[in-house]
Amino acid sequence: MSEFSDDERGAMRDSFARLLSERANELQLRKAMASAHGFDMGLWQSMAEMGLLGLIVAPEYGGIGGDAQLLENLMEEAGSHLLCSPFLSTAVMAASLLSASSDEALKSELLPAICDGTKIFAVAATGANGSWTNDDISIEAHKKDGQWIMDGTASFVLHAEKADAILAFARTGETAGVFLVDAKAKAIGIEKLEANDPTLRLSEITFSAAHAKRLETVNETAIAEVLDLTRLALAGEHAGGAKRIFDITVQYLQTRYQFGRQIGSYQALKHIVADLLIEVESAASAARHAAKLHAAKSPDAQTFISLASFACADAYRDISAQSIQLHGGIAYTWEHTAHLYWRRARSGLWLFGSSDQHRENYLHCLEAA
Amino acid sequence: MLSNAATISNDDLAAEVEAWLDAHWDDQTRREKDTNQLNVKSWLGKLVDAGYSVPTWSPDWFGRGYSSKQARLIDKILKSRKVIGRSQDRYNLGAVTVYRLGSEQLKSDLLREMLTGAQSCLLYSEPNAGSDLAGVRTKAEWVTGPDGGEYVINGQKVWTSNAKEATYGMLLARTDWDVPKHGGISFFIFPMMQDGVDIRPINQITGESEFNEIFIEDARVPAGNVVGGLNGGWKVLQTALAYERLIMGEGATERPGKQKSSVPPLLELAQQHGKVGDPVIRQKIAQAIAYRQLNSLNMKRAKDEIINNGSSSLMSLGKLAMSRIQHGEARVAAEILGAASLLDGEDFDDSANMNFDSAKAYMNSIGGGSDQIQRNIISERILGLPREIEVDRNMPFRDVKSG
Repeated sequence: MSEFSDDERGAMRDSFARLLSERANELQLRKAMASAHGFDMGLWQSMAEMGLLGLIVAPEYGGIGGDAQLLENLMEEAGSHLLCSPFLSTAVMAASLLSASSDEALKSELLPAICDGTKIFAVAATGANGSWTNDDISIEAHKKDGQWIMDGTASFVLHAEKADAILAFARTGETAGVFLVDAKAKAIGIEKLEANDPTLRLSEITFSAAHAKRLETVNETAIAEVLDLTRLALAGEHAGGAKRIFDITVQYLQTRYQFGRQIGSYQALKHIVADLLIEVESAASAARHAAKLHAAKSPDAQTFISLASFACADAYRDISAQSIQLHGGIAYTWEHTAHLYWRRARSGLWLFGSSDQHRENYLHCLEAA
Repeated sequence: MLSNAATISNDDLAAEVEAWLDAHWDDQTRREKDTNQLNVKSWLGKLVDAGYSVPTWSPDWFGRGYSSKQARLIDKILKSRKVIGRSQDRYNLGAVTVYRLGSEQLKSDLLREMLTGAQSCLLYSEPNAGSDLAGVRTKAEWVTGPDGGEYVINGQKVWTSNAKEATYGMLLARTDWDVPKHGGISFFIFPMMQDGVDIRPINQITGESEFNEIFIEDARVPAGNVVGGLNGGWKVLQTALAYERLIMGEGATERPGKQKSSVPPLLELAQQHGKVGDPVIRQKIAQAIAYRQLNSLNMKRAKDEIINNGSSSLMSLGKLAMSRIQHGEARVAAEILGAASLLDGEDFDDSANMNFDSAKAYMNSIGGGSDQIQRNIISERILGLPREIEVDRNMPFRDVKSG
């Protein structure tokens, strides 16, 4: 992965922000989330044209070779606009899983297809417990006559309905590996799970003697690394979403009058937002610092990704929850934007591990240091 | 002899300071060269006259007109050679206030004395003026005398540290009772070593005694010791408080770094008390460590922003964040100790430390502007929310309710 300067990152972030302002404003977001597949295919193509889908893909496969810092920066924008798309599963998870493989032919076939937006991937990474740990992989893969066969069920799979291909984590006896399956294969059953957050699409995928291709050299360590990068991206998304809904709320406190004065003049409300500002800034600091360490391949990266994972998720939960309370009745309506941030924050708490898990991992890293 | 501030290179500056120190300071004995014992006043005089104690100040007043970057370089050299009296343009609050806001006469009367060992203390808070500092009731009255006249002070001040050692107090007193509270206050450089000044130590809930109450009865201040003009004290105070917060803020950024690389104290405590395997305690320890780590990341970002943009609003969050950190850490320590939290004293070191920390945490959450005042500052000055209505803002101070 090549290095980008602060200015280059800033410029990319700005153009992504412009694209989202033009193509993913709240009206367009609500249209996209109500659509059949839950995202705007036109916007997806525009993201491909801007190089965003190949953000972390090496240039020889059609990507721009960005690092975790660039990814984190852009995810803040995605979070700020509540972007609903298969970005995390396709451009982060699938792109990094495939990049980790040694199978050059496969990489040359699939990575460019991610970059130009022609292939969407779903990643089946956890079972019904939704803990995103190796213990929770509930798919078994075995080899029969030189062919990998998969059986089992994966749950909480993001944006699988429109996926062209699935990358599934599966147990192969003592260890785990990653397998590629055609999403349209008969042996695959994709069942939509109704999600509380309308900007997310979740599915359960059942594999019944599905034929699969193993991603060579993508072992448990590689899986852990991909999950870490995904958590880092999600932390950036949380930090960006938290900042945006906080700003919306502070602005409302200045425009809403009750008892003849701006409600933002009441200390009962001011003190809540002062405390929340610490959370907003801490989330940004945590996500950015973790990304910086990841990009620098620091041995502390794991520690700070765990920290960012729970700090950003919890901050987003608290800020978005308080934003509804601080707005009052207007935010109790479906039409108001606050609940969309609140729902996204509440989803984020459980994707790729819970805050309690991340806290435990954080302490574990500190003990091991 | 003075080097040109704008053109001198960092290397030349460093060489010049090192050479001057080689000639005048003994690193080993930590005193002036060729002397048998440390004479602080004489040494400080030498350093001050050389321009190395307040390098950012004007050459007219013991400085060299250096940039803060150049001053930091000098500070670094003085610190590494354990020199007494470095960076008084940042740390000597009394002298900074006189230099920035005092009259030419006051500067020539006091600055050299204040820079060469005469210490100062703060006489701001009163029993009835804590968070609402503009409500001070200590009275300064003008009394005409044979030599012109002077101010006579009566009142009570509180939360003053360093009072017994101080030569001067920076005193906030009321000089007009018939105007709204902010407009009737004056700022005095008050001579502490005089009759009518009674200093009584305060016994704190930590068992320590860092602060004093000061009872002032018919004490005198020369006419020229008013800073910022008669009834102009509120503005002076704002500036003085800003310097103070800057110094406190710098302290707050240094502290978290100290724990680096060692096992965090709470984790160590849990290991020693057999609680390190308790999953509930582990969650709480992780969260407590995280809050401290997050604050230190915020402060690091603040420093970067200051270097790049000249200022950072993040800096103002540190003190409020520190309250949650300190109270929270003490609470988790108590949960680790369990019933042993009931104990105290030398035989129960961990309990005693935890109980001390639990009480000491209030120092940050009340002192120097309580958490509640900090939240007002953050929401008003950073987020731009309107002030709450103040009923006494436009009322003659004489009519303001107090209690």
